[in-house]
Amino acid sequence: MGLLSAMVKKDLKVLFRDKVTVFFTFGFPLLFAAFFGAIFSSGGGNSGMSVAVTDLDLTTESAAFIQRMDDSSSLQVAAMPENEAREATRKGKKVAYIILPKGFGPAYASLFSGGSPSLIVGVDPSRKAEAAMLEGVLMKMGVERFQNAFSDTDSLLSMLDDTILSVESNDQMPAEWRSLLGEYLPQIKDLTAAENQSQKDAEESGNDVSTGTGIADAMTPLKLDFEDVMISREGPKNGYAVTIPQAMYWAILGVVMGFSVALVQEKTMGTMTRLVAAPISRMQILGGKALGCFFALFLVMTVLFIFARFVFEVPIDYPLKVLLALLSVSIGFVGIMMFIAAVGKTQRGISSLGWGIMMIFAMFGGAMIPLFAMPDWMKSLSDFSPAKWAILSFEGATWRNFSYPELLLPCGIMLVLGVACFLAGSRLIKLEN
Amino acid sequence: MIRLDAVSKRFGDLLAVNALTLNIREGEIFGLLGPNGAGKSTIISMISGQQQLTSGTLQVGGFQPDSKASKRLIGVAPQAIAVYEDLSAIDNLEFFGSLYSMRRAELKQRCTEMLEFVGLTDRARERVEKYSGGMKRRLNLAITLIHDPQVLLLDEPTVGVDPQSRNSLFDNILALKKRGKTILYTTHHMEEAERLCDRVGILDQGSLLALDTVENLIDEHGGASHLSATTATGVVDRDTHQPVVDLQEILSKHTGIRDLKLQRPELEKVFLNLTGRQLRD
Ligand SMILES: Nc1ncnc2c1ncn2[C@@H]1O[C@H](COP(=O)(O)OP(=O)(O)O)[C@@H](O)[C@H]1O
Ligand SMILES: [Mg+2]
Repeated sequence: MGLLSAMVKKDLKVLFRDKVTVFFTFGFPLLFAAFFGAIFSSGGGNSGMSVAVTDLDLTTESAAFIQRMDDSSSLQVAAMPENEAREATRKGKKVAYIILPKGFGPAYASLFSGGSPSLIVGVDPSRKAEAAMLEGVLMKMGVERFQNAFSDTDSLLSMLDDTILSVESNDQMPAEWRSLLGEYLPQIKDLTAAENQSQKDAEESGNDVSTGTGIADAMTPLKLDFEDVMISREGPKNGYAVTIPQAMYWAILGVVMGFSVALVQEKTMGTMTRLVAAPISRMQILGGKALGCFFALFLVMTVLFIFARFVFEVPIDYPLKVLLALLSVSIGFVGIMMFIAAVGKTQRGISSLGWGIMMIFAMFGGAMIPLFAMPDWMKSLSDFSPAKWAILSFEGATWRNFSYPELLLPCGIMLVLGVACFLAGSRLIKLEN
Repeated sequence: MIRLDAVSKRFGDLLAVNALTLNIREGEIFGLLGPNGAGKSTIISMISGQQQLTSGTLQVGGFQPDSKASKRLIGVAPQAIAVYEDLSAIDNLEFFGSLYSMRRAELKQRCTEMLEFVGLTDRARERVEKYSGGMKRRLNLAITLIHDPQVLLLDEPTVGVDPQSRNSLFDNILALKKRGKTILYTTHHMEEAERLCDRVGILDQGSLLALDTVENLIDEHGGASHLSATTATGVVDRDTHQPVVDLQEILSKHTGIRDLKLQRPELEKVFLNLTGRQLRD
């Protein structure tokens, strides 16, 4: 153990004394996470709150109401079937779902009779602030219903006709109420008709008359039935939750390149001669390297996770899962490091081949474009990139909230890949010049 | 101590070492003198177990060259300086020492001694990067000695070194001989071989051309000495194989001799006579 710990200590010292490596293992990943995380986190606010809407009523009124929501700058509306709308909110893809139930249209159309129109609303409980805002927006639109009704007197007149008829034919209404309304409503109608005439005159003479706001405030514009939403979140909590696993990959890239170059440098510097001349086996030399690389990866990623938790406030609810991901991803890339060192042979070969491979892994593995934002063709290619499985391990251990069996897939792939690459690499690699 | 019997090494078509038979005795400084490409480094890497022999047998202290036992006996100073430039001298020494399963206290002690031995104590904690070529060479030697090996393989240990560091390295090597170490020293500088080595093997294109003490090599292959005398009448000079006889003759024939010079041939001449070429081109 003394031998291995000496080798690890030496390798870590050599690695982190190189300023370029330190930049690529800590500086660049942190910049990456901070920069893109900030962009993702502030996004969404500008284009309006994203909600799912389901129209079960299918009347002109319900269609018009949805259209008005869509026109509103504070909402971004996607129409979808009821179950999809609920699912989208559960998974955090939408802030809320709004269902227009059967009967919405008639209730919306009649101002003074029947109940006020109701909406079924379900809101992502983790987005309380946005929910409050949504409620405000919907109520405002309900109030607008009255304003529209009163500012469009012709529709108000026809609405009053309907209402008078329905009052007369309503048997359940107490007699006093019926007689009161029977007297009252026709008077309102007459007044409205007269005002309609004077308004038309005024419009002809160029005067602007606004009407009806006083009455609108007195009534309940809209009833909102809130439903509880059970979340099964698949969306990240904040932008950094996405960029930190990506940043991990960039840090991994820094360490892997640093170590594979350092391994070949031992040959060019001649220090490998001393290692080979010492009474230790080839496997001990390679094992020492692998262990050093493992510790470097583990260390760098742990530091990044600490940053993620305490600086970027990425929730880490399952530290054990994170640990499992860290271990398996470290092992995976130790193997890849060994393989790159063996195949690249020279420092120049490793630099070009290593960077090339690792960048392609990054592109298709979600270190540049997040996995969930990839087009489908790219998603299927990403299966071949170890970067994907590394990032998925970290996402699974954090915001994707994988169960242990689910986590086993990406972590297992990393482990198997690591062992296979290490065995192949350590066979191929030449220590002697 | 080091025994080579008909050792050959082939790289493809090139026969780098050709049926070399050699016995380096315990406690001697054995010089391998030859031009670049003669096969010196290849011989060292076979002795230290880094390269396989193509044919022949080789033993170090009775052990196979790639065995752990023989690796423990040997300390190699590679021709190219082999140190971690990003680390300090003391880090380098401690790391390489740890490859030989030394106990911690013993290792620390050795580090201090070796730094003292090569005169790097003052700058032990500085990064090697900042060292001069001579300092790096001295560290290269110190690392070779860290596990107190019995056999030293020093491959051109003075290349790229200022005269001061060179003298200090010579002193080190002679001190090591006094401590009973067996030393194989390769060089293409005949002065170094003359100054340090008990016996010298002359190597060219993988073949050993001659092997003896410097004195004997010169006697046998050096050719004539050069004798010159300045007399009242002029300069008398001649090449001779019997300088004493010739000197007596000159003294008896001439009077009023103002200057006398007797120059023995150097190893350079030995090489020239053996190969028809200069050692340094
Ligand atoms: N690994 C190798 N592969 C091929 N040729 C080599 C190798 N090592 C040395 N040689 C060749 O073997 C010959 C002897 O080299 P070397 O032992 O380094 O000579 P020296 O140390 O005396 O200068 C040279 O011609 C050199 O080019
Ligand atoms: Mg050489």
